[in-house]
Amino acid sequence: MQIAVSGGKGGTGKSTVATNLAVALRKLGVKLTLADLDVEAPNDHILLGVELANEEPVNQFMPRFDYSKCTKCRKCAEVCEEHAIITMRDGTPFLMPTLCSGCRACEIVCPVPGAILEAFRTIGHTYVTPTPYGFTLVTGRLREGEERSMPLVVEARKRAEKVREGLLMVDTAAGTGNTVSKAIEGSKLLIAVTEPTPLGIHDTELILELGRLMGIPTWVVVNRADLGDIEKVRALAEKYGAQIVAEIPYSENIVKSYVEGKPIALTDYPEAEIFKGLADRVAEFIGGDE
Amino acid sequence: MQIAIASGKGGVGKSTITASLLYLLKDEYSFVAVDADAEAPNLGLLLGVTKWDEEREHLGAKVARINTESCIRCGICYERCPYGCIYIDDEGNYVVNELTCEGCNVCGLVCPVGGTISLEEVRSGVIQKATTKYGFPLISAQLDVGKPESGKLVTDEKEWAKKLMEEKGLEHMIVDSAAGIGCQVIASLGGADVAILIAEPTPASLSDVQRAYKVVQHFREPAYLIINKADINPDFNGLEKWAEREGIPILGRIPYDRAIPESMSMLKPVVEAFPDSKASRAIEGIAETIKEELLG
Ligand code: SF4
Ligand code: SF4
Ligand code: SF4
Ligand code: SF4
Repeated sequence: MQIAVSGGKGGTGKSTVATNLAVALRKLGVKLTLADLDVEAPNDHILLGVELANEEPVNQFMPRFDYSKCTKCRKCAEVCEEHAIITMRDGTPFLMPTLCSGCRACEIVCPVPGAILEAFRTIGHTYVTPTPYGFTLVTGRLREGEERSMPLVVEARKRAEKVREGLLMVDTAAGTGNTVSKAIEGSKLLIAVTEPTPLGIHDTELILELGRLMGIPTWVVVNRADLGDIEKVRALAEKYGAQIVAEIPYSENIVKSYVEGKPIALTDYPEAEIFKGLADRVAEFIGGDE
Repeated sequence: MQIAIASGKGGVGKSTITASLLYLLKDEYSFVAVDADAEAPNLGLLLGVTKWDEEREHLGAKVARINTESCIRCGICYERCPYGCIYIDDEGNYVVNELTCEGCNVCGLVCPVGGTISLEEVRSGVIQKATTKYGFPLISAQLDVGKPESGKLVTDEKEWAKKLMEEKGLEHMIVDSAAGIGCQVIASLGGADVAILIAEPTPASLSDVQRAYKVVQHFREPAYLIINKADINPDFNGLEKWAEREGIPILGRIPYDRAIPESMSMLKPVVEAFPDSKASRAIEGIAETIKEELLG
């Protein structure tokens, strides 16, 4: 089974919840793999205090033109939805690599065999990192200067599928764009981490809407629950048929554990209980499935 | 002059600080503010915007659609979609998942039955313009749920801002850029004269801001750093060390202050809500430096 942890905006504590929930679930005996699919700013390894390991490049197709064969028909440029191919006045195509999404549409339409050759560039990396907590962390990391995170999300998911043991838990990027839906896709449960502040509430609605559109049952974890008007989150959750499953108060202990890269779920602080409670509910939800 | 404010990831106080800086600069300078965090815009809220003067739907995102009538269910599109966005529904129909489709049209090119797959232009979001109660205009965007191309949305937003600068004779554009390092951030930073990076002293924030800085370097823009919640982690000096190594001047340090979350729940810049708080005084100092060093 797969479940996802997401949240409309950045900085709500999504990664804190994902990493601590993973640790707490593992303590309950649930086998799992955690996938950090926030490829533009992956941080789960930092919160878990581990160094990324087993790096593999994500190589993406890009066209290379064999100008001795190319007839300058411009078909490749016309079909490229990313406008990654520009043509000179006489029709000679040129590639602007960072715009290329690697979709191969140009290759498909080129009428001259061999005019488009396969070239690749590394747009990021995936990692498979053992953690001292009894589960493996899979991470996707986009290379700086690369624009498109979708291919990285897809590749990191694939690698996570390959190495997964038991439950697959994904941690997504902030926002509600299509790379977030790609990360969430296939999940049986969406855990939305929100904040009861006016700003957080606006974004909560967006993530609940995404859950609804994708038809995934959604739970809400309210972080920094004492810093705003939780009733508003309750009302929104009700509107979307979602339930609030945990409330985490603003806590210096959590900040400290975050800063030190030591999951709070492993400590004796009272906050650890919240994650244990959440883990119990998740374990119950997934039942004997894993 | 175009100033982009970035952090690499949300949650480090970028928008609060931006709102405060805008508040402090508004009397002496003319500018347009741009909220380029199209997936979670909040500058409008923080600046008390309740109504937008003008709204433009943003078309241009494309998604594929399959006509189930003519589809022969050969599965070629399913195999060839580079991002796995085609699935088979309960009735055995091939269907595009519009919430993940990137609109590349590979499926349309490989489908053997002409006209079965069409690429349709859909709304990807909305761009809005408001006049804030502080007098300066704000342009903001909101990406629709599950849509691609947030970068293009930001590019269009900035174009609108540029036009507004010309029409109204405004001197500056101040862009609150998106989280991450992908297309939205690249669109936010592209064309800026200066980047101001905001980070907090945690390993996670350091890692995020380092990645954002690499994007800044692509554009060869000078960068400055603001350290927020500067006192939450006294044992950590990674940010300072990194800034020194890279030659990034530090514009200032803002201490952790409950006045900030409180001002946020009041939907006001902290320098307006609690001008005497220690955070506000630090931000004022930073605004002075920005005036002297950047805006002249
Ligand atoms: S692979 Fe796709 S995005 Fe890249 S140049 Fe070809 S058509 Fe354009
Ligand atoms: S489609 Fe092929 S032959 Fe035509 S311009 Fe492109 S590379 Fe050259
Ligand atoms: S347009 Fe591209 S991403 Fe969308 S379904 Fe077709 S092949 Fe997949
Ligand atoms: S390639 Fe065309 S005909 Fe074949 S399954 Fe896809 S839509 Fe149907």
